[in-house]
Amino acid sequence: ENVVVVEMARRYDSRTTTFSPEGRLYQVEYAMEAISHAGICVGILSKDGIVLAVEKKITSKLLENISSEKMYKVDDHLACAVAGITADANILINYARLAAQRYTLTYQEPIPVEQLIVNICDKKQGYTQFGGLRPFGVSFLWAGWDKNFGYQLYQSDPSGNYGGWKATAIGANNQAAQSILKQEYRDNMDLSDAIKLAIKVLNKSMDSTSLTAEKLEIATVSRRDSQLEYAMLSAATVEAVLKELDLAQPQGEPA
Amino acid sequence: MSIMGYNGSAILAMAGKDCVAIASDRRYGAQYQTMATDRQKIFKMHDKLFIGLSGLPTDQSTFFEKLKFRVAMYKLREERDIKPAAFSKLVSSMLYEKRFGPYFIEPVIAGLGEDNKPFLFSSDLIGAPLVPDMDTNGFVVSGTCTEQLFGMCESMWRPDLEPEELFETISQCLLGGFDRDCASGWGGTVHVICPDRVITRTLRGRMD
Repeated sequence: ENVVVVEMARRYDSRTTTFSPEGRLYQVEYAMEAISHAGICVGILSKDGIVLAVEKKITSKLLENISSEKMYKVDDHLACAVAGITADANILINYARLAAQRYTLTYQEPIPVEQLIVNICDKKQGYTQFGGLRPFGVSFLWAGWDKNFGYQLYQSDPSGNYGGWKATAIGANNQAAQSILKQEYRDNMDLSDAIKLAIKVLNKSMDSTSLTAEKLEIATVSRRDSQLEYAMLSAATVEAVLKELDLAQPQGEPA
Repeated sequence: MSIMGYNGSAILAMAGKDCVAIASDRRYGAQYQTMATDRQKIFKMHDKLFIGLSGLPTDQSTFFEKLKFRVAMYKLREERDIKPAAFSKLVSSMLYEKRFGPYFIEPVIAGLGEDNKPFLFSSDLIGAPLVPDMDTNGFVVSGTCTEQLFGMCESMWRPDLEPEELFETISQCLLGGFDRDCASGWGGTVHVICPDRVITRTLRGRMD
């Protein structure tokens, strides 16, 4: 949706913490606009784990890249996917990691998922009300497990608002992704079905004509041998799923 | 009487051929009274890094919990496990930060570093490091019976012990050492750290 910015709005949008006459916070909206150009992230909750799938925007061969620029581990039981300004995300993720460790230092157990998100969202909200600093240009998908509520998936945005979801998407073309998820999501999916659905959704929402493992990153938060684990799927595993779904790009196969 | 000797403990670490071992007693006492005989004084940071803490129990627990915090953050940022040498510097720094109000603990670190090279370390309660010369004295000690432990190690240790021999040696040194100390004993815990696995055993000696 295009936002038609009236001339009068100009006076209210340079002050990050001021309402406009229509009752809007323009800086927060502009932050969300920045995010709507970022690579899509999809999250799906299943009965035995959560899948996070992202589109990698930077796929240059010259890139010496070992770490992901979209997916991060926050603690052994919590991970997140990022859409927006990576530099802003790094600050918040570091803060999230410290918050999780501080909780564990005090209570000697892993931080409940919602508590961590509330912590970060309160920080994000502060930047919309105090200090005159711009908001963080990041939305997150948070995937985690705790003993109170099991597997949980949350979405948070620059306003500091958050919500719990069964399946959701952020970033470019997220509306298309969300409508597919609304139709295709089933409550008692298992993790492997969720992974397949995530890839199908990405395929439909990504601009690129063909899907290869290099353009995607898929991670899961699930229990393996009664140990909670955040695991990034290897390129080979992703290729295999792509093949199964008949989406694989033929790589110069012999005739 | 010294706060470092109020509870009593015996910690010992030794280096072998491509392996290290770390051992401690199991007594939790308060001066003459023994309150428990299953106290854990050696803590695992990761598969190739263990730290033993002698001294005041509340500081043992708290310091270990703070170390868990720092090592977890390290692993998230660096995306790898911390090496024993770097970890030992972290321990020294954290202890010196409290120079004028220290943690009443004296750590002993045993681990496998780059290329699984054995690493040993010990320090005093304010972080003064000691990295032993592995060719002549590949052992470090801490606790209320260090004199006895040094004596046992000096006579029984030799370089390049295989894991099973290392286990025997460290166990005998520990038992012989803490048997002559009323504040430590009541059984022992021994971890032998090899490149592919860790073998943990409990010792039963004179239960006094």
